[in-house]
Amino acid sequence: MVDFTKLEQEITNSLSKVKDLESLNECRIKYLGKKGEISLLMKELANLSGEDRKKQAEILNTLKNKTLSLIEDKTEELNDRNLNEKLSSETLDVTLPVSSSLGSIHPITQVIEEVVTIFGDLDFYVAEGPEVETDYNNFTALNTSEHHPARQMHDTFYVETQTDSMQNVLRTHTSPVQIRSMLQHKPPIRLIAPGKTFRCDNDQTHSPMFHQVEGLVIDQESNMSHLKGCLEIFLKTFFETDKLKMRFRPSHFPFTEPSAEVDIGYTKKGNQLVIGEGDDWLEILGCGMVHPKVLQNVNIDPNSFQGYAFGMGIERLAMLKYGISDLRTFFECDLRWNKHYGFSPLNFPSLIRDLS
Amino acid sequence: MKFTYSWLKEHLETEHQYNEVVDKLTAIGLEVESVQDTGLAYKDFIVGQVLEEEKHPNADKLKLCKVDIGREKVDVVCGAPNVTKGMKVVYAPVGCVIPVNQMKIKAAKIRGVESYGMMCSEYELGISNEHDGIISLEQDTEVGSSYADLSGMNDILIEIGITPNRQDCLGVLGVARDLAAAGVGKLKNREFKTEKGSFESPIKIEIQDNDICPAFAGSYIKNVKNVASPDWLQKKLKSIGLRPISALVDITNYVMFDQNRPLHVYDADKVKGKIIVRSAQDGESFKALDEKIYDLKKGMCTISDEEKVLGLGGIMGGESTGCNFDTINVLLESALFDKVNTARTGRDLSILSDARYRFERGIDPRSTLEGIHFATQLILEICGGECSEIVLAGKISETPNTIDILGKNIVKRLGLEITDDEIISILSSLGFGAKKSGENIHCTIPSWRQDIHGEADISEEIIRIKGYENIPTSNIRAISKVNKDILNSTQKIISKAKHFIASEGYNEFITFSFSDSKKSSFFGEIEKLKIINPISEDLDILRPSLIPNLLASIKKNTARGIDSLSVFEAGGQYSSTTPEDQINSICGVKYGLSNSKTWRSEKKEFDIFDVKNDLLNVINYLVPGNKKISISDEAPSWYHPGRSGKIILNKKIEIGYFGELHPRIANKFKIKTRVNLFELLIDSVPLTEKKTTNKPLLILSDFQSVTRDFAFILDKDVKSSDLIKAALNVDTKIIKSAEIFDLFEDKSLGDDKKSMAIKVVLQSEEKTLDENDINSLSSKIVEAIEKSTSGTVRS
Repeated sequence: MVDFTKLEQEITNSLSKVKDLESLNECRIKYLGKKGEISLLMKELANLSGEDRKKQAEILNTLKNKTLSLIEDKTEELNDRNLNEKLSSETLDVTLPVSSSLGSIHPITQVIEEVVTIFGDLDFYVAEGPEVETDYNNFTALNTSEHHPARQMHDTFYVETQTDSMQNVLRTHTSPVQIRSMLQHKPPIRLIAPGKTFRCDNDQTHSPMFHQVEGLVIDQESNMSHLKGCLEIFLKTFFETDKLKMRFRPSHFPFTEPSAEVDIGYTKKGNQLVIGEGDDWLEILGCGMVHPKVLQNVNIDPNSFQGYAFGMGIERLAMLKYGISDLRTFFECDLRWNKHYGFSPLNFPSLIRDLS
Repeated sequence: MKFTYSWLKEHLETEHQYNEVVDKLTAIGLEVESVQDTGLAYKDFIVGQVLEEEKHPNADKLKLCKVDIGREKVDVVCGAPNVTKGMKVVYAPVGCVIPVNQMKIKAAKIRGVESYGMMCSEYELGISNEHDGIISLEQDTEVGSSYADLSGMNDILIEIGITPNRQDCLGVLGVARDLAAAGVGKLKNREFKTEKGSFESPIKIEIQDNDICPAFAGSYIKNVKNVASPDWLQKKLKSIGLRPISALVDITNYVMFDQNRPLHVYDADKVKGKIIVRSAQDGESFKALDEKIYDLKKGMCTISDEEKVLGLGGIMGGESTGCNFDTINVLLESALFDKVNTARTGRDLSILSDARYRFERGIDPRSTLEGIHFATQLILEICGGECSEIVLAGKISETPNTIDILGKNIVKRLGLEITDDEIISILSSLGFGAKKSGENIHCTIPSWRQDIHGEADISEEIIRIKGYENIPTSNIRAISKVNKDILNSTQKIISKAKHFIASEGYNEFITFSFSDSKKSSFFGEIEKLKIINPISEDLDILRPSLIPNLLASIKKNTARGIDSLSVFEAGGQYSSTTPEDQINSICGVKYGLSNSKTWRSEKKEFDIFDVKNDLLNVINYLVPGNKKISISDEAPSWYHPGRSGKIILNKKIEIGYFGELHPRIANKFKIKTRVNLFELLIDSVPLTEKKTTNKPLLILSDFQSVTRDFAFILDKDVKSSDLIKAALNVDTKIIKSAEIFDLFEDKSLGDDKKSMAIKVVLQSEEKTLDENDINSLSSKIVEAIEKSTSGTVRS
């Protein structure tokens, strides 16, 4: 009779000494291969009879299973050890630099998109007009006749025209879009008109080209209190603070009556302006009730319709919100500036996510 | 406009502090631009008296003085030649800053002797150029008192911005009137005295054109003595930054700034015959007080005598009749000139003057006579002499303008509840006549308000005085929407394109809409784009293209050492100076290195396939769904003729160009390396008016796909697109894709030959392709390509 206990002992011993997959395989062949010890004993079972065969078969099966399981454990252990050895040789310097390939969106585009987002939510559509305008649309229709002193304040660029009958200018403000839009649509009208504007002025605080956004509301009842309400929502949303203080004071524009300029409260902390705190005032926009003569000029009856208009400088909004100190840098095309002040192209201003 | 607080108080009786008045000015539309405490620089200077004076032991020109300054007696070393015992002086104590040079006074040893403080000259105080000696004050001046108080320097200088409509506030009187209406004081009653002359003016006045000059009043004053103005008048003018000239001139300036009444004074002895107010004739010229000669044109309003032009009405007087210290007889003018004509003349001749500024905004007609009487009295007081009866040519309209308004319309416009009574009370405080007349309020407009024409103007007056802060805030969110779309299709396309292109690595630049005609002729007809008054020579036209400004920006950035640049601009370019000829475009430029040499990549420069890839990607993004894109090599002339292409959408729409910039243009911009760029013609992007949200049905085959590679030897000019087209056309259902994967040229292939390899993917939607199917398709592909390109397959 074979000494199964001894055999089991021997198998356990030799497996525990195995150091690599190769010798493990040898071990497997030695006991479980075709001519392996356990396999041979299995074959010999045929020579036994009855009870003996049954009993011995049971013992042999147990031994075989145990051996298989030991081999499996050993395989896993060896694989694990091999992997660990491999891993320890596979280190990289993860601090090596990589580069980003996204470009940037200009702050002017960003601010216009923010403004459009806020006013879009308030049901204003975006109107546009050409940058070259007729003198009539830019001035006359806006109640600024040829010799109106306000014209001198505009430092207008004039362009040569092929026909003598017409004097064209580079628009000095976005207000002519009001005229174009009112000629096209009947009230009610609610629009904003962002775009480029031009004045013949070039120094530290003036650029010959800059951007404005115009707003216009014409219906049967919109009045100065609506104008106030409208601008309050806009300014608070734009500057992302409910603490914003706003001051209306009288001013003059030929195309609005009454006219107002709006200041917002701010304070200076170090070199930074903080909007919404402090007692100092900063002019931010001009506005007013559309002048009845302007309505007459676009064939809207001022006895039936009224409304308000406002206009503000995009650069100024951008400078105040994003701490850009020099107006002229917007158009200097210094890549370092654009990368610093620009915005991610994946950043679409939104009122349900983030505005900026 | 500038004035001092003390000047304002000559017209306004007020208990308020100056800062309250300043706040009110802004609140009623007279925006305060600056407030300056003019006494601040002088606050430390005090009156002293020299008690003793002896020679400095170590310096011939210096003196040792003991000075009584009230609180103590101090030793001062002084170099002024005029210092004497008993003299009352202006003393600057230690710590005080000298206005003229901002030097801080320190206790110091001067040639071995201690000196505390300094005695000052007018020059050192910044009040004149007098520096020959120190100031000697009147003997009755109190020692130890403040020099700022004594000199009247203790004042507040206020500068306000006057909007073009508020011509009535271009004099201190008008400002006081508005403040009184707003409740910060009471307008002082002015005693209006008329000056009865004792003789008839020897100079007659004739107005030939009443449209340009409705009225002209003259006062002849004989035997005057034009002197330096008295101290009070000089101080007044200096306080607002004006230079005193002589009493006659100073008086006219004073009346203008005080009462907004421009005047002019002629040396009467230089006037030949009568004064004629007439339109100038073409060809006439005249030398103005600014010593420039102006060529006049018909229509300009001249004041002439029987020989020559004496002045431009409402704008500037002439040199020939100017007054000087020898003047004996004068004619004082107070007239009314037409606004528009004054503005036109001033603009045509580029003359800016205080008179023009006022006349083109409109002058209170009533001030014509008030002003001449007031000024005549001042001249008599200061310069002596005798005045004539006032002569008035033309007519001053006496009937005031009136309008009827409805209180409820004011309420409707302002969104503020306000009663008729309150409206009437505000208007009355502003000098309007206002009374109920049935439903209406009947308003009589004061003569000084040239800007009130209708109900809207009245509503501004009401809210200005009532206070803008009292306007309530109303909700503007409406229940039903006015607008269906916020952005139109083009606006959406531009916005999407900008973000997409930026995500491809481009930085958005915004450049001026102008460009340099000398560098732009490659891109358009520059003579159709001229700006009449450009800001500078190199920004003299509207840009015909976005390209030149971007090239200039590249040049600037490379000068700063940047070796890789991807930038784009979205904006307008122009084909003429009419509003309709603005074209929307986007231009992207890649310059320099696409990869710098890094630890894991070799250095590589951008090439045209980078920009082609970027342009195609954005087109695919902007025009989703089924479309046909083809590429031809016919790009515009500003591209390199052999390295550029044009993208055509659906066989007919030119939607964009890409390629290398023409080297001749690069040269012009002094750019030394290749520049690759694309242009996306935004106006050509098809607008999907009605967007369908459904996507086309997707059919995915579960049968195995097979890939086959073929290489061909081809003539060099064969295009890859011909190979691909030939392959795809063999079986549009089974051939899923065909791509070029290898390209090379080698002498072994022949001089004009190249090798191009194509990878074709075959997949049936019905079965797994067997060897026969694949072989048969393969030979068809080879055959088709050989036929269309005259090439041969490489085996």
